[in-house]
Amino acid sequence: MPEHIRFARNRREFLTDCFCGFGAMGFSSLLAAEAPKSPLAPKEPHFPAKAKRIIFLFQAGGPSHLETFDPKPLLNQLHGQKRPDTFGKVEYQNVNQNSRILGTKRTFAKYGKSGLEISDLLPHQAQIADDLCVIRSMHGDMVVHSAAQYQMMSGRVIPGFPSMGSWVTYGLGTQSDSLPAYVVMPDPNGAPEAGQPVYTNGFLPAVYQPAMFRAGKRPVLNLEVPKGISMERRRKTIDLIRQLNEANLLGEDAEFSARMSAYDTAFKMQTEAPEIFDLSNEPQETLDLYGVGKADTDDYGRRCLMARRLVEKGVRFVCVVAGGGGAETEWDAHSDIEKNHLRMARLTDQPTAALVKDLKRRGLLEDTIVLWGGEFGRSPESERGSGRDHHNTGFTMWVAGGGFKGGMAYGATDDIGLKATVNPVHFRDLHATLIHQLGLQQDRLSYLHQGRRERLTEVHGTILKDLLV
Amino acid sequence: MLHLTIRKFCALSVAAVVWAAPDIAPLGKYTAAERRHWAFQPRADVAPPVLTDAAAKAWIRTPVDAFVLAGLRKAELTPAPEADRATLIRRVTYNLHGLPPTPEEIAAFVEDKDPKAYEKLVDRLLESPRYGEQWARHWLDVVRFAESDGYEYDTHRPDAYRFRDYVIASLNADKPYDVFLKEQLAGDEMDPKNDTLLVASGFNRLGPLRKNAGNQDVASSRTEVLTEMANIVGASMLGMTMGCARCHDHKFDPIRQSDYYRLQGYFAQTHASDVIIATAEEQAKYKATMEPLESEMRKLRFAMRRASEEDKGKILTRLEEIDGQIPPPLTAMYAVKNEPKEMTPIHMLERGDYRNKGAKVGMRPPGVLLPEEAAELPLETEKPRTRLAEWITDPQNPLTARVMVNRIWGYHFGRNLVTTPNDFGRMGTRPSHPELLDWLANAYVKNGWRMKPLHRMMLLSSAYRQASRSPNEKLFAEKDPDNKWYWKANRRRLAAEEIRDTMLAVSGRLNPKAGGPSVMLKIDEELIKDLKRPQYWVTTRDRGEHDRRTIYMIYKRNLILPFMQVFDSPDTLLSCARRDQSTHAPQALELLNGTVSNDLAGALAKRLQGTAREKVDYAWRLATGRLPNERERALSMKYIDDPDPVALTEFALSLFNSNAFLYVN
Repeated sequence: MPEHIRFARNRREFLTDCFCGFGAMGFSSLLAAEAPKSPLAPKEPHFPAKAKRIIFLFQAGGPSHLETFDPKPLLNQLHGQKRPDTFGKVEYQNVNQNSRILGTKRTFAKYGKSGLEISDLLPHQAQIADDLCVIRSMHGDMVVHSAAQYQMMSGRVIPGFPSMGSWVTYGLGTQSDSLPAYVVMPDPNGAPEAGQPVYTNGFLPAVYQPAMFRAGKRPVLNLEVPKGISMERRRKTIDLIRQLNEANLLGEDAEFSARMSAYDTAFKMQTEAPEIFDLSNEPQETLDLYGVGKADTDDYGRRCLMARRLVEKGVRFVCVVAGGGGAETEWDAHSDIEKNHLRMARLTDQPTAALVKDLKRRGLLEDTIVLWGGEFGRSPESERGSGRDHHNTGFTMWVAGGGFKGGMAYGATDDIGLKATVNPVHFRDLHATLIHQLGLQQDRLSYLHQGRRERLTEVHGTILKDLLV
Repeated sequence: MLHLTIRKFCALSVAAVVWAAPDIAPLGKYTAAERRHWAFQPRADVAPPVLTDAAAKAWIRTPVDAFVLAGLRKAELTPAPEADRATLIRRVTYNLHGLPPTPEEIAAFVEDKDPKAYEKLVDRLLESPRYGEQWARHWLDVVRFAESDGYEYDTHRPDAYRFRDYVIASLNADKPYDVFLKEQLAGDEMDPKNDTLLVASGFNRLGPLRKNAGNQDVASSRTEVLTEMANIVGASMLGMTMGCARCHDHKFDPIRQSDYYRLQGYFAQTHASDVIIATAEEQAKYKATMEPLESEMRKLRFAMRRASEEDKGKILTRLEEIDGQIPPPLTAMYAVKNEPKEMTPIHMLERGDYRNKGAKVGMRPPGVLLPEEAAELPLETEKPRTRLAEWITDPQNPLTARVMVNRIWGYHFGRNLVTTPNDFGRMGTRPSHPELLDWLANAYVKNGWRMKPLHRMMLLSSAYRQASRSPNEKLFAEKDPDNKWYWKANRRRLAAEEIRDTMLAVSGRLNPKAGGPSVMLKIDEELIKDLKRPQYWVTTRDRGEHDRRTIYMIYKRNLILPFMQVFDSPDTLLSCARRDQSTHAPQALELLNGTVSNDLAGALAKRLQGTAREKVDYAWRLATGRLPNERERALSMKYIDDPDPVALTEFALSLFNSNAFLYVN
């Protein structure tokens, strides 16, 4: 079985390599003998799936579990004291033996029919408590941002391995013929620590690259026709390219027709992708729900709303990033956790809840997985007096929709939130469960690369059946 | 034949045998079946098949043809006729230079009556410095060369370009491959005073490097550094997936976990070394800036020990601030050196985790290639990497030459004999032409590991000169859809660098300047904002520099240029043995709407003079190496027969987007 670096380009391979072989592009007659099959054409899952797509609300920097979803009354009792030895040791970046326990200023209450405990930091997410499947026993292997972000996204602590979004589109293709299969909407403040490689397709073919929908005037690179060129002119130019290619065709040529249909798709993207950004046809009620137009929530609200619009159009994986560009503009609360987390919550809480509500009322939540969380949580001990350090041995993420149970808390950390002690969930277990819901077997979703059958879960992850409906 | 290596290796090992101690990991054991794997066998002493019939005699030009023809006949296929001269010169010029031939070069070659015209052409191309620029790219892909650290800070390596220049110069000089490898693995050990060798030793530092803020976990970082050093040797030089054995014995190949750590053992003494070459004046200036910063940092770190929680925060913030003020490092050679006092004891690590230390190991090559119980050397051995290099470049090493000739073959023919060039193990494919592979490897070693004679042998073959379309296209495509038997030439799409370089060349803008520090292009602000340290991206001031060949553009791990990314450039995080040739819509968007193609289409349009027909014909000759056919000409002329001032530029852009431009037959 040859690996990705094979190069013999036969007809079949080209067909499976082209971006969008969706016929009806005026060129398809040449392919009559064998319908082109794009690698991004929708693919059957390995077994019947509960979910079809994922929206990952990536909370970069590492939101505190202790201030959000994991109440620890003992923390406030031990405030200012050294951590009792009985809790064991963990490795930190900055916290050391002299550090003291930091109590939380947040208060927790029970919400919804389920009585799920959520802190007053997230009043909007509290309203969707019954839809949330909160995993309080997450743990990863790395305590520094970049490596932890790589592991969260790709299952590996080093860069260069395909991200979840690339794996999922590799496994399932896309249901849209005019939008990218995998979209990342980064935080306008900047990238998370792991940078561009965190979203990478790694060694998977370039068709599984993410499309970055950035903030600013040119949200998608090269989507706009250059200044001084009309769309009409551009259509003529594309026609010329097609005609020139046809004029030199020696019979049927799968690769060349794949290339031509890529131009048709590109042209379609030029007209249809900008529509995703145009929220003017959304009712005011929806805009208000997401907080669009309100200073604090406008940016994240827009991006969450666009995420819904993208999945509606068949996009397979959307990553909406909250946080980037440095500790203060992400959840990385090394100093003054109150200030940092209150700000981050003010920007993201309402849009987050709105997305889940909106998906639900449209019937999309049933087969859309929404995942919320960051690369780690934060330390029970204080750093710089009022901040918390990185903390990978026990923290919280949540999942909603896509066949996950709502209104439940799974697993637990010890009494100060130091370590995941009950039903610990590693990133690879979460990955295994997510792709299981998409109907993909972790062993079969693999790619031979330099002697190893690589997969998202690296080694076998446990499917968390308890979380599933 | 292998025993020579073994005897030599054993002779090196007798000095100090340490493996008897109980805390030493036992040496791996290998079954006879494991040792029998084809790639571990000595190379066979093969001769080209003897084909005496007239057809064969007429076709066979160089010995490789005999092997290819024998294979074709066995598969009941016949070679395609020879490509026409215009196609040939375009193919071979791209293959060796990554640039198109000029219309004048094409005309001269097409009209050359000399029966040795093609030989002359190949020799001319091989002698040009453009050759090194094109073939260096292949090696840089394999060794995952980049000019930044990757990870959070993605700190630039402003002196890493010297390694790129070293590779280009080595290839242009046709440096023997065994010397080339030795210099990269152990240049500093060969002669610590020789600048070229020091730069070459930077090979050992090419991998991504994680630097953490705050308390750096030294042991963890060191493990990662050693991992990068060892893994790349397996992938690039041996075609062995050594990295798979970091956490446990290799699942498919006879590589034990102990073999992996014994390979790491060769690097136990190896540490980074920046050999300063800045002038005294620059050094003084640097010192003047750095001294106050350093002294403040020292004071802060000292104060940190007793600081209250409150003050600690302030100190850390200040430390971060100072970190941002540190000036760019002094000009230096990016090298390595041995520091015996700083030697890292190498342990087996359970599941590859630096915290789970197991038994100790010394240094030894992979055991399956050695006799049973071949002793390891102690980590203290002097010039350890030289030992490794000697073993790798030993003429009898069954892997080294095979792996390299297979790469060279693949870059010429579009398909490697072993289609998994970095994996000659059980999960890799078996060679399609095992005798040819061995014959080439033997010839390579016999000719003093020189690449240029090998290039000649391949390029002058009839196999290489075939047309990319067979008269029996349909039938043969069914029989051999992958063209495994080379019944025609493989058409290929230009690589990212070739596309950009060609647009520069045909628009008359290419700045041919060679070597020196890498160029940072003006790019979209949003891309720079995505960096943790946007200040590292300093657009090169001299705009003329922006029009240099792509190999001289900076290769930054956290910001691969979008143009490169869409056209399958590697991410330089792992070794890339072979680039994909994908086709997807973002490529179309890049070429239609991107600044590079639009800017250069404008420049090409300005070069077009005369009547409409003259304009059209000249543009085609420049961009595609041929005149347009009648239909192409008619379409082109009709398009530019338009008062719209952008029509001519858009026509040029159409050419950049056409298959005739993007593909090489």
